[in-house]
Amino acid sequence: MTNAPAQRPIPRAPGFLASALRVFDLSVSEMLWSRRTIFMALVVGAPVLISVVLRLLDTLGAPIFRVNGTTMAGPAIFGLMIWVFYLRFTVPVLGVFYGTSLIADEVEDKTITYLFTRPIPKGAVLVGKYFAYLACTFFVVLPSVVIVYLAIVPMRGSLGASFLDLVKDLALLSVGLAVYGAVFAFIGAKFKRPLLIGLIFIFGWEQAALAFPGYLKKFTVAYYLQSMVPHAMPNDTVVSLIQGIFRETPSLTESLIWLAVILVVFLWAAAVSVERKEYVLEQ
Amino acid sequence: MSTPIVVAEHVSKWYGQVIGLNDVTVSVPPGVTGLLGPNGAGKSTFMKLITGQLRPSKGDVKVLGEPIWRNPHLYFQIGFCPEQDSFYERMTGLEWVRALVRLNGLSEKDADEAARRALTSVDLMEAANKKIGAYSKGMRQRVKMAQALVHDPQLLILDEPLSGMDPIGRRKTIRLIRDWGRAGKSIIVSSHILHEIESMTSNILLINNGRILAEGDVHQIRDLIDEHPHTVYVRAEDPRRIAREFINVDTGDLRSLKFEEGAVIVETAKPDAFYAHLTTMAASGDFGAIEEVTSPDDNLQAVFQYLVK
Repeated sequence: MTNAPAQRPIPRAPGFLASALRVFDLSVSEMLWSRRTIFMALVVGAPVLISVVLRLLDTLGAPIFRVNGTTMAGPAIFGLMIWVFYLRFTVPVLGVFYGTSLIADEVEDKTITYLFTRPIPKGAVLVGKYFAYLACTFFVVLPSVVIVYLAIVPMRGSLGASFLDLVKDLALLSVGLAVYGAVFAFIGAKFKRPLLIGLIFIFGWEQAALAFPGYLKKFTVAYYLQSMVPHAMPNDTVVSLIQGIFRETPSLTESLIWLAVILVVFLWAAAVSVERKEYVLEQ
Repeated sequence: MSTPIVVAEHVSKWYGQVIGLNDVTVSVPPGVTGLLGPNGAGKSTFMKLITGQLRPSKGDVKVLGEPIWRNPHLYFQIGFCPEQDSFYERMTGLEWVRALVRLNGLSEKDADEAARRALTSVDLMEAANKKIGAYSKGMRQRVKMAQALVHDPQLLILDEPLSGMDPIGRRKTIRLIRDWGRAGKSIIVSSHILHEIESMTSNILLINNGRILAEGDVHQIRDLIDEHPHTVYVRAEDPRRIAREFINVDTGDLRSLKFEEGAVIVETAKPDAFYAHLTTMAASGDFGAIEEVTSPDDNLQAVFQYLVK
C-alpha cells in the first residue's frame, strides 16, 4: 500500500515585486536601527553641524564668507556643500556601505536562512533589501539636506528663491543613492571583498575617469549625476580644475536615461547573482 | 512501500578541500525520522541540502518528489527550523513570525491569525509581544519552531531543536514533535543526543564523517550507547542543590559530578532516569531555575568509534 502524503491545495506564491515589498517590510526597521545607521548619522551629521556652526558665526558677525573682498551668499554656500559633502562623499559612500551589505549582513547575522526558505525568489529578497536601503538612506540623508538648506540659505539669500534648487538637489541625491545602491548591490552579490572594490570604484576609478578627457567618464555614475546639479561645480582642487577644463556635460534627458539603465541593469544582475549563488554560513 | 519524502542519490558536498557529505544515498520515509550524529558529522550539511540552501557538489536531492535547489515553490510544503540562534532581535515574536509567513503569500489578517496559532502551539503566546532580544534560550528555540510551522507545512525539518532548552521546554517540545507526527506531518529532526531522538521516534539515520552509517530502528543503537556513560551539563540558579539531590537519590548510576560557574556537569549511566528526574525537579520548582541542559557528544562519539571500527 502506498502511503503518499495527502495532496493539499498549494497557495499562490506572491509575485516578484509583492515578495520584495514583503521583504522590505520585514527588514526596513532592522536596517534603520542597525550599527550601520550610526555611521550614516555621523556621515550626514557632519554637514549639518558645519552648517549650524557657520550660521552661528555669521550671526555673530564673523567675516567667514569673504572671498577676494566679496561676501558669499547663502545659496552659493549651500550649493558648495551639496557638491562637496553630499554628491562627492555622502551619496557614494552610503551606497558602498549599504549596497554591498544588503545580503552580506543577513549572511553574517545568519538570518538569511529564514528568507531563503520561503516560497519567494531569492532575487526578490535582494530587491526588498534594496528598497529598505533606499528608505533608510532617504530617511536620513534628505532631512539633513533640508536642515543644511534652512541653516545656510537665509544668510544673504532667500529660502523662497532657492526652493526649486532644493527640490532639484533632493531629487538628484535620491537618484544618486538609488543608482549607486544598485551598482554596489551587484558588487556585493557578485564579488568577494565588495567593500574594498566599492571604495576603489568611487575613490579610484570614478575620480580618475572623470579627470581625463575621452569616453572613459561615461563608465561612471558621477558623470551623469554631475550633469544634473543645479549649482556650479567648485574648482577647489587641481582635479576639479582639470575636470572643469575638459568638462563635457550630457543633457538632462541623456543623464536620466543612462542612470535608469545603470540602475535597472545592475539591480537585475545583482538579483540574478543572488539567485544562483550558494551561501555557506559559518558554523 | 511508503513514498519517500526525501531522496538523496550519491550526494556529496565539499567546502573547498573539506568534505561535508560523502556519497550519501538515502530515502527518508514519511513520519518522524531522527538524524543522529556527533557535531561535525554532516547533519547540518544534510539539513541544508534537503532545504535547498546548499547545492550538492555531486548527486541529486529530491524533496517531496521534486529537486529542491532553486525550487522556491516547494517551501510552501516545507518548514525549516535552523540550528543557529539568530534573529531580528528588535522585533517581537509575533511581528517576526507574522512577517515571515507574509512571505508565503498570506494577507495581513491571515498572517496575523497564523502567527498567533503557531505561537500558541509552541506555548509562546504570552511572550508574543516581547522583543525576541529579551527571550530566554528556550523561548528563542520555540519562536524558531513557530516560524517553521506557521504555514502548516507537510514536512518539518528541525535542526537541533532541543539545544539549550530547559527540561520542561524539552519535554513540551518532544511532545509537540510527537503530536505533529501523529497528526500526519513528516518530520526530520537532528540531534547529537540519542536519548532525545529516541523520545521522539524509533526511526533514525545515523550519520558520521559525512556518511550514513545506519538507518532504521533506534533500539539497536540504544543497546550500544547504554554501555557508555552520558555527560549532561546543567546550568541552574543553584547547581549545588541540584547536585545534592542527585547524590541523595542515586541508585548507583551516578558516575561523577563536576562544578563549573553556575553549572554542574553530571556523568550518568542511565540517561533516561536522569532526565526524568531532572524534569520532575524542574517542574517542582523546589530547586530554583534550571536554565539550560546540554549534553556534549563524547558518549555518542564513543559509539560511533565502535561502529566504524
